[in-house]
Amino acid sequence: MTTAGIDLGAKFVKVLFLKDDEVLARTQERAGFEPIEAARRAFAAALSECGLTENDLDAICATGAGRQVSPFTKDSVTEVGAAAKGTIYLHPSVRTVIDVGGEEGRAVKCGETGKVEDFAINEQCAAGAGSFTESIARALEVPLEEFGKLSLKSEKSIPMNAQCAVFAESEVVSLVHAKTPKEDISRAVHDAIASRIISMVRRVGINNEVALVGGVAHNPGFVDALERGMETKVIVPEHPEYVGALGAALTARERSR
Amino acid sequence: MAEYRTEPLKCWNKAKELRLKYYKDYQDAHKKGGIRWTGGAWAFDAIPAGLGRDVYNITGEPYGASIAFDRKLSLECMEAAEAKGWARDLCSYMRNYWGSMYLNKYAFGGDYPKPDFCYQDHICCSHGKWYQHVAEYKKIPYFCIDVSVGPYKDLDENRLMFVVNQMHECIEWLEKTTGRKYNDELLCEAVETECRSTSTWAEICTLNMSKPAPLDEKTMYSLYVHGTLAKHSKEMADFYEELRDEVKDRVDNNIVAVPHEQCRLMSDTQPPWGFLKVFRYLEKFGAVSIGSLYTFGLIGIWEWKEDGTWGPRTTPMQKGERITSRDQALRILADWNLSKPEWQHFYDPNLKTEMMLQIVKQWQLDGVILHLNRGCEGLSCGIMENRLGIAKTGVPVMTFEGNMGDEREFDEKRTMARIDSFMETLGITIPA
Amino acid sequence: MFSKFYEWYEKRHDYARDWLSKNDGEVVGCFCSYAPEELIYAAGCLPMRVLGSHEPQDVTEPHIFGMFCPFCRDVLAQGLKGRYDYMKGIMIAQSCIHLRQSFTSWRNHVPVDYSFYLYMPNKVQTEHARSYYAGELVKFRDSLQKWRGREITDDALRETAELYNENRRLMHEVYDLRKQPNPPISGREAMVMVASSFFVDKKDHNAELKRILPELKSRTPDRECGARLMIVGSENDDTEFIKMVESVGATVVVDDHCTGSRYFWNSTQFNGDIMQDIANRYIDRPPCPTKDWERRDRFPHVLKLAQEFNVDGVITIQQKFCDPHEGDMVPLKEYLNSNDFPTLFLEFDVTVPLGPMRIRVEAFLEIVGEEELF
Repeated sequence: MTTAGIDLGAKFVKVLFLKDDEVLARTQERAGFEPIEAARRAFAAALSECGLTENDLDAICATGAGRQVSPFTKDSVTEVGAAAKGTIYLHPSVRTVIDVGGEEGRAVKCGETGKVEDFAINEQCAAGAGSFTESIARALEVPLEEFGKLSLKSEKSIPMNAQCAVFAESEVVSLVHAKTPKEDISRAVHDAIASRIISMVRRVGINNEVALVGGVAHNPGFVDALERGMETKVIVPEHPEYVGALGAALTARERSR
Repeated sequence: MAEYRTEPLKCWNKAKELRLKYYKDYQDAHKKGGIRWTGGAWAFDAIPAGLGRDVYNITGEPYGASIAFDRKLSLECMEAAEAKGWARDLCSYMRNYWGSMYLNKYAFGGDYPKPDFCYQDHICCSHGKWYQHVAEYKKIPYFCIDVSVGPYKDLDENRLMFVVNQMHECIEWLEKTTGRKYNDELLCEAVETECRSTSTWAEICTLNMSKPAPLDEKTMYSLYVHGTLAKHSKEMADFYEELRDEVKDRVDNNIVAVPHEQCRLMSDTQPPWGFLKVFRYLEKFGAVSIGSLYTFGLIGIWEWKEDGTWGPRTTPMQKGERITSRDQALRILADWNLSKPEWQHFYDPNLKTEMMLQIVKQWQLDGVILHLNRGCEGLSCGIMENRLGIAKTGVPVMTFEGNMGDEREFDEKRTMARIDSFMETLGITIPA
Repeated sequence: MFSKFYEWYEKRHDYARDWLSKNDGEVVGCFCSYAPEELIYAAGCLPMRVLGSHEPQDVTEPHIFGMFCPFCRDVLAQGLKGRYDYMKGIMIAQSCIHLRQSFTSWRNHVPVDYSFYLYMPNKVQTEHARSYYAGELVKFRDSLQKWRGREITDDALRETAELYNENRRLMHEVYDLRKQPNPPISGREAMVMVASSFFVDKKDHNAELKRILPELKSRTPDRECGARLMIVGSENDDTEFIKMVESVGATVVVDDHCTGSRYFWNSTQFNGDIMQDIANRYIDRPPCPTKDWERRDRFPHVLKLAQEFNVDGVITIQQKFCDPHEGDMVPLKEYLNSNDFPTLFLEFDVTVPLGPMRIRVEAFLEIVGEEELF
């Protein structure tokens, strides 16, 4: 059986095709102002990547903030459900899934089948998401990819309060003025965001093992801060940003059985 | 899937009329030589009732909620309060209320009617301060009774008498402030009526144990409000008895709130008043919110029964007692109110968790949705411990953040998305 | 000169552990400065106010909703992180609803042998509060006696109240020196002096105060006074903030904080019934805003301080989300401004971003300076 999962996230649309246990295609497009168009492009790219047509797909399921407007299917699963399902499929022993995207962070406590037992989503005023690192990286004129790595070079903890993103940004400005090395600033920022996320994770409990999914998982500075803060190892799947789409493809498969 | 019969309440219009009449009576009080006072919904309103039958009040919380319901007016009020320099995270009812006062706009038309005095009770940090400011701004007298003497289970003579003594002091103050002679008979009547109305409301809530539920919480909001306006008034008590009989009738005839009931929930704290569509959204899933400790116990007075269940508190009159003197009336009034379910968590979140779990059990619920209400520190006090306590027993619980009176702090889309996730975890899908 | 106070302030846990090793008593954590410490002390225990540590933390989110003040979360974090693992007892004297959540969550999740919630009245302005509170104090005394298995005699209470009064009198003496044109003590030193008194045996604190007072009286300040500032508001033991303020041309000469003058301003008056005397002392204290109604007794007190200490301006600070102080800030500003004291409002969190704060303080000092010129 071949199924497709489409994750219409706030920043990117991701498409994943799954045949049995083989991933046939992974594609993504920036969502921009026309997320549906972006989804169509990503979907077409996925089809051409594996040489299939839409008719070859047995079922399609959407997830993500825009799942209800997905052009290809009415079937959908929430981001929470998809993240749990996708993660447990890849790493069956995981019980806590942390999903951090551009605009939102989530923590999911799940059972062995990927059933969601409890979840928490970051509340307002939380600087705990990817876009915050982006804006700071921009302010420091460091490419985002470098920004995360930079923090690994620092060995100095500078306490920063990320209760409010705006205030945290002005703290960064003060650090810049105080000629604080960029790597220390980077670490302070990652520690602050990780602290926000960990706060939220504690609401569902840190149940071993812990996985981090979503685009922010590519940031080694954030992963490091998370591991230090929770005092536990964090599993990062190979394509962390596609875990939601994978969860959707798995849901499509389950539902058409 | 079963589809149950649903129809509007017969007394719905009466409920509406009573509420509007209440606000109109307050506005017109001075035309008839009457007295008007303002204060909280938890104030002991039976006490000023002893000043005469022409005493009218507006209570700030439902008034603030009425403003919140009108999102345009609410925003104007919020901005007026912020222009004065008040913090945005203060009680949003209070900010709505103050805004209406600054703008001189009554939510029910016309100018903000100047009260003759402020009269309040104090349990959360904002209670005493709210009317301190109103009294200063309007240059009117103010009296406030401190009720923070601990949970009802630990009530003793010293604690009760602190409240009762303040009540006596208050009556002297009322006489001095208004120049009127205080009438103890009216007080006794008002206390008896208050016991009747608040116990009857609890009785109405117990009828919602029926499965499927005859009432949903959104409807209950329009009905419990009468108790927050004037719990001591005969009109309201009589209305609650009429309502109770109608709800009984609905139960007997299987008339329900949500036609496809397949999931029973309760909420907690005041809802975001401008967004009651959250409840309509739940209905799509066949999910009914049967109430909450908030709708049950803000005005309803309850007790633990001998068989371990939780039910309407037996009134003194039901026990064969009649109220005949000032001191007796005040003692009963203090004791009655100190047993209010919504006052217990101010001292210990575990007391609230215990009541919530009892509701889950007795009302046969599938899950709990907690509104993390940024607008009310009082009812949000200890709410995360409630969440932990409920989750520990295996009852599914979801939280969403919002504000009862400040719509700028509510994210509709993300809240609905969260409900989707919660429904998914409960295994509930929208019925075809 | 103040190194002992700094040491106690910074190494409060070391002091407490050391105290435990030398005494046959327990350390009792006090939530809120309204705690009637005399009773705890007379029971042979060390009352120790629980303050935060000014570090970002991620452990309280499951327990206290994020709209409550950062201080109450910082306090709870100390318990959850095990920083007070030696502390066997906790108690709260009721005031705001923020801090009581730190207490109830502590009781739920941090192991303690003893806890007591004291229903301190909020309406301190009614005469009925006196006998009521004395009655509640009797319950607290009974409960302590039962826990410790020893009697708390009236004599012991009287002796303790005298010891506490002495501490209050000595700190007043230090504060009085701040009235001088160039005070021999900085605001930061004063803050640490008062804050350290929360943690140590008042006998030790008194001895140290007596030791430094003569020296202090003859101390020549090594810095200019600059603008004379008062700092007013919610819980504040942010020494880094004061240090910054005093590095840009100002000296904090007086405060109205529960971690400052409010804690020790009035004394116990002895009228016969010691329990009633102690109750009265707390009822009559300069109030926290949450207890300051229907009248506003707090404002004239603040104004009097501002006048007596001859301040040029007032910094009003407030823990983010602190409802009691938010309820006072607007009328307090109007009140002070109408009495010709300029004000600067600042919002505090667990950590204070010094850069942005410095800009605000410097701008304020410019305003204060200009007013002096004309």
